[in-house]
Amino acid sequence: MSARASSVGRVVATERRPNTAHEFHFWTSLDSPIGIGTIVRVDGDTPIAGQLPRVFGVVVEGFSYTDLQAAIDDVRGHDGLPQSAEAAPTHRAEIRLYTAHVLRQIPEEPLQPVPMGRVTLASDEDVAVALRMDAYLQPGNRTGIPIGIYKAGAMEAPIYLDADFLLGPEAAHLNITGVSGLATKTSAVEWLLASIFAHFPEQKGSVAAICFNVKGPDLLFLDQAGQLDDADRAMYAKLEVPARPFDRVHYFAPYTAKGFTLNTLRTNEALEDNVSPLTWGLNEVMQFAEVLLNKDDVDAKADAFIDFLQERVIGREFSDPMLSTTHRVRSFGELEAFFRDLLRGVEDRSSGEYWRTHHVATIRKVRNRLSNISTRCAGLVTDEGTVSDLPFGSFQDRTVYVVDVASLEEDAQDLIFARVVSKLREHLERRDLGVSHVVVFVDELNKYAPGDGQDTYVRKMLLDISERGRYLGLVLFSAQQFRSQVHRRVVGNSGTALYGRMDMDELATPGYMLLSPATKTKLATLEKGQLMVRHPHFAQPIFVRFPRPAVMRGRDGAERFPAAPEVSLEAAVMRALRSLDPGISLDWVKRTIAGHEESVVLRARTLTMQTRPERVQAFFEAQFRRIVPAAVPAAERPVSVPIKALPDDDPYGF
Amino acid sequence: MSSTVTVNEGFDVVRRRLAALLTPGVPVVSEPQPLEVASRGVQDPPTMRAAEVIEAPMRARPIQDIRETGFAAFLDGAQWSLPAAWVGSVPVVHGTVAAVIRERRERRLVTWRSPMVERALYVPVPLVSAEARAAIDATGLRLVDTLDARKAESTHPFALQELAYRAVLAARERLEQSLGAQWCEQSDATLFVDGGISGSAAMARAKCVVGVVKSHQTLHANDSDVAVIMALRPRERSSVVRIAATKRTAVASWYLRLRDSTGQDPLWGLVRVEIALAPALDVAQLAARADRISSWILAETLPLSAPDSRWDNMVYGIRDCEEFLRATRA
Repeated sequence: MSARASSVGRVVATERRPNTAHEFHFWTSLDSPIGIGTIVRVDGDTPIAGQLPRVFGVVVEGFSYTDLQAAIDDVRGHDGLPQSAEAAPTHRAEIRLYTAHVLRQIPEEPLQPVPMGRVTLASDEDVAVALRMDAYLQPGNRTGIPIGIYKAGAMEAPIYLDADFLLGPEAAHLNITGVSGLATKTSAVEWLLASIFAHFPEQKGSVAAICFNVKGPDLLFLDQAGQLDDADRAMYAKLEVPARPFDRVHYFAPYTAKGFTLNTLRTNEALEDNVSPLTWGLNEVMQFAEVLLNKDDVDAKADAFIDFLQERVIGREFSDPMLSTTHRVRSFGELEAFFRDLLRGVEDRSSGEYWRTHHVATIRKVRNRLSNISTRCAGLVTDEGTVSDLPFGSFQDRTVYVVDVASLEEDAQDLIFARVVSKLREHLERRDLGVSHVVVFVDELNKYAPGDGQDTYVRKMLLDISERGRYLGLVLFSAQQFRSQVHRRVVGNSGTALYGRMDMDELATPGYMLLSPATKTKLATLEKGQLMVRHPHFAQPIFVRFPRPAVMRGRDGAERFPAAPEVSLEAAVMRALRSLDPGISLDWVKRTIAGHEESVVLRARTLTMQTRPERVQAFFEAQFRRIVPAAVPAAERPVSVPIKALPDDDPYGF
Repeated sequence: MSSTVTVNEGFDVVRRRLAALLTPGVPVVSEPQPLEVASRGVQDPPTMRAAEVIEAPMRARPIQDIRETGFAAFLDGAQWSLPAAWVGSVPVVHGTVAAVIRERRERRLVTWRSPMVERALYVPVPLVSAEARAAIDATGLRLVDTLDARKAESTHPFALQELAYRAVLAARERLEQSLGAQWCEQSDATLFVDGGISGSAAMARAKCVVGVVKSHQTLHANDSDVAVIMALRPRERSSVVRIAATKRTAVASWYLRLRDSTGQDPLWGLVRVEIALAPALDVAQLAARADRISSWILAETLPLSAPDSRWDNMVYGIRDCEEFLRATRA
């Protein structure tokens, strides 16, 4: 003990302000390095059960006062002139009194009020003991994931999260709160993913991450190096995380409504090699029709008919006396053909208003709603059923999969989120995803899992992940600006919580009631790169610093790799195919697709991209062989245009 | 002379031990009142004492507002006298005396060396029985015979208490003088002493000591000069006088008005300053020194020593000494 750091304070207790087993007070010199969030150690003088007590605490409140009993005395002393105070030869006696919350007591039993004793700054080893990190930093059984560095005075101690409590199975999930634009949420998650990839214990298996990019170019340059300064690099070195961008990143984005350019800001030609389209057909979508169909207009009757379609019609051969032919519905196009045939049959045969107990109005309504899906989610959902999906079943270890939904309509975002998470869950349950753990990062949780409003499919899924995901290795990293507005069970099930700079209004909500006013003030003024961390092993929240992520910021990436301008169909096809065969020219593409419909060309392109054949040109050309190109119309005599067009339904018009 | 304070010399411990020895089986229940605050605490009667005016004529002399101070430290003492037991009508008084110098460093006050603390039992020894004396000795605390220095005017219990009080007061003065002498041995920097310095020959002759008296039970002035002193306005001092009393060393002294006493009694905001009287008297030099020291004292009126009720004539450094001694009394 005597060899330990010199005292920075003394524990003090009065009858009015006694110490307890969870809180104690101490004073320091005026120039001590103690501040809110500092971790301190108290050494008692009286042995408990033969052991001198050691108590670790984190400072949560500070007080300063002088020997004045009334402020007016000071005014009177200086004749009401503040400047005369500068002439006083002596400063008043002044105290720095701090309140700390207990992190850990040794011995832990019997649990007693904190004894009087000397206070020192906690050393690296003390911090590990205080935060119970010693339990999971044992050589040979190490499950520590660095989250940042705790700084106090000249001391810097690495802070680790326990992988068993961050990624399951003991606890799991992480939630991060903070105001926008202060390098907190996205940066922290990018840094933490790098840390997880570097430190995830081998014995726990493999890990990958799926990030939903919901804002601009935020997560679109994770494979590009960002700017780091010496302090950042020093932190990376201390925390033993490579200061480089992610090695393996795959991007997925649906097409725009036109269908031949990807709906993402990562369309720069230099970065196209790891960007894949995300398109789904009828089969993929019908499972999640519930996500897209409005509960208000899909009633029980419509629901029953949709179930009938899913079970009896879609994906199998279906015939019925009412139908003119046998239907095999595999795409939205074929579904539409089925509906046309069915409704024509029902109307022609005058067989009443019902078909197989389903009212014709219900059939019309379901047709309307389902047909509408491919319109509302154009670019993601294709009429012809072309599928380009995430590599479920062949996920790779330490790989980030980014799904860019930033430019999509809300419905399409919901559909993507619901389906991707469901598929992850299915595969993890079957243990055939390719990795044993997946981190799913969802920003703007306020929107996807709000605390109020009607229950949505997406919210139910998020609740399901947060409550049961840890057993499967499906881990939710979520972020939002206002934690108070997120469903309580989603944030409540997050074993680890990070807080960046917070809004005072948010801090005034009941969820932050247990934080001291000083801690709230610190949260409201946190610098960039600082976080407050709550973790199951930490008895109290801890403030840490983390380095800037080693990846390019979205804004910088968008400037350095500007998105390609909207291109023609020919150019879009050429660019897509060039990623497989750099020898492909625009002229060749023009010749090949001349006279073919746009949808046919796009289907050929998608098939080629999915198949990735060795002979790209031959494969692409082969997609058109079975199709007779539309005849090029002969030059016609110019048609004279009437001055005033006739209405379409004019019975006298010819 | 000073001793390290140990727990077993504390009042409560000694009191319980004495009770066990003198009146076994009788529980100690009442909380005695310190003699310093009890009405039985004694005060000298108001007195006028003539003084030789060195810096004649006696008049008010304005002090320049230079807002600088030359004081490096402050010395004050404290005492606590509590009846710990009664042997019949004879009080056994537990006395604690302490003195401290608070040195100014970077405009903050810190303790110079260690504070001096002494504890003893004050008893009129000839008036107690041999058994009682043995019990008092058994406490292990130093015994001071209050009849050594004075004779009892009567054996009235309160008169005997007053003897004890005065003995404790004398012990405190000795402690203060001892600490002041230590300062003067090691430093030439000026020490602000609470109270007069003429009681100690060493301090009364030291150039580095300035005594500042707050109480005016005794006014050192000729009858004709009282009006001048009472009429002093803020930042004015009186002419320097020579104070010489029996058994005390002669010192130079003057009155200084620290604050405006309009609407208050005439002694409000008034202090009397004592400094050493140089063997070769040079009135001009003495007057210049009185001016300089007066300006230093005026500078020390900030910050206000509130909430102390004597804030009108107590400087903050002395309040700090008192607070220090009060806080470390245990």
